Amino acid sequence: MGKVKIKRKSTLIDMTAMSDVTVLLLTFFMLTSTFLQKEPVTVITPSSVSEIKVPTSNVVNVLVSPQGQVFLSINGDSDPDNAEKWGTEAMRGEALRTVAADYKAKTGRDPGITNVDILKFQKNASFGVPIEKMHEFLSLDQTKQDAFLGQTANKPVVFGSLKPSDIGVPFKDIVYKDEAGNQIVTNQFQMWMRAIYNSDNPNMGEAIKKGEGIAVKSDRGTKYETIQHVLDNLQTIRMNKFSVMTALKTEAD
Amino acid sequence: MAQIEQSSGGKKKKGAQKKMAIHVDFTPMVDMNMLLITFFMLCTTMIKSQTLSISLPTNEKVEQKDLQKAKESEAVTLILDTTYDDKGAVKDNVIYYYFGQPLYEKNGDKITSSSMLVSKFEGNTGKELNGIRKILHNRNKDVLDQVEAEKEKWRNKQITEEQFQEAAKKIRNNSELTRPVVIIKPLADASWESVIAALDEMQINQISRYQIGIPSPEDIGMLEAMPEYQKAHAGDKK
Repeated sequence: MGKVKIKRKSTLIDMTAMSDVTVLLLTFFMLTSTFLQKEPVTVITPSSVSEIKVPTSNVVNVLVSPQGQVFLSINGDSDPDNAEKWGTEAMRGEALRTVAADYKAKTGRDPGITNVDILKFQKNASFGVPIEKMHEFLSLDQTKQDAFLGQTANKPVVFGSLKPSDIGVPFKDIVYKDEAGNQIVTNQFQMWMRAIYNSDNPNMGEAIKKGEGIAVKSDRGTKYETIQHVLDNLQTIRMNKFSVMTALKTEAD
Repeated sequence: MAQIEQSSGGKKKKGAQKKMAIHVDFTPMVDMNMLLITFFMLCTTMIKSQTLSISLPTNEKVEQKDLQKAKESEAVTLILDTTYDDKGAVKDNVIYYYFGQPLYEKNGDKITSSSMLVSKFEGNTGKELNGIRKILHNRNKDVLDQVEAEKEKWRNKQITEEQFQEAAKKIRNNSELTRPVVIIKPLADASWESVIAALDEMQINQISRYQIGIPSPEDIGMLEAMPEYQKAHAGDKK
């Protein structure tokens, strides 16, 4: 009896076509995507029928957490020619310097922001600590910063003098006297917004005037009084035109 | 990974070049690409969020007579209220509303009954309008009918989209039509969602004149006299 010879067949599959497809897909995703911004609190925005897209350049995002903590995120001009002067990082650095100087002029206390702090600040997507504690906050490493901002009420995280109540740009009144001797009340949130508005970047000021430069973002379930507080502060500094972030309404809504 | 196979033909002519077939195994390459794709898919936002623009009045004092320009017959006041469940999640968004100047009966200092009504954000089922949308729609009928006529023209390609938008804007701001002035008054407890929903209704119903205000003491008094409000807030901690 002759042995039945099993023919050995090669199991090689030509993967070239598959590779082509995946590379194409990869290119597509890399070109069309914008990275998710890291945000200290996750919020689900309410839905609306409005179809205006959020701008990605020359906009300040004001994120209001359900507890009323406010985080700001500055996005500068997207034009690469202006990146050095008015780009996101340049604007962040400028804003921090302006506010630190402003704070010192108004309260007499120096927040002690160093050049290293400014470099670190420029890399952070959003911020929300009082200016007087900014130096201490920026001295922490990234994981500690995240742990501090992302803490929950039942698990408080304390680093040095940074307490859970230090999360968010403060709205505490700062009273000072102007040159004419009039008493003026302001707060750090207003100081930040003014610093951004008066920055060297003319496009930013223009965008804020038109109402596209400020985007307020908050959760569906946040109480109106919490947000009204923020809106009220914006009105006080005459930034009464702004936009509100919403999600696109689906059929079910 | 890569291998070179010689074509194993039987007899070969002398001097003929050997045919080489080069196989490169792309499997690891595909693996890596797939991983990268997965990474990009998970880390990116494809849909940008939408925005709704709002203009608020300045905080500066405005002369009282300038404020009361709105004709009483045109005014609609919406008071927004939200109830929450035990976990603090939104249970229900309710709208209390009245037209023009509110009418109410007083017993001593307490308001006992008023012309205030209750509604909800319901949207539409098919072509049928429900809830507050129907009420606002009826109030703004003049404008909506004319806009609808223009839209019909646009659908039939008689005018371009720009022309339609232009015409719609003109109609919305035509002072000869009866157009409502809506005053949205969210209570302190009202959810952000309900404020946005109310602003949304303005867009849907093509209402060009609206403002956000604060409830007056009378509004609160009338609210407290509403059986619906009492029922919704019966379990609230004082």
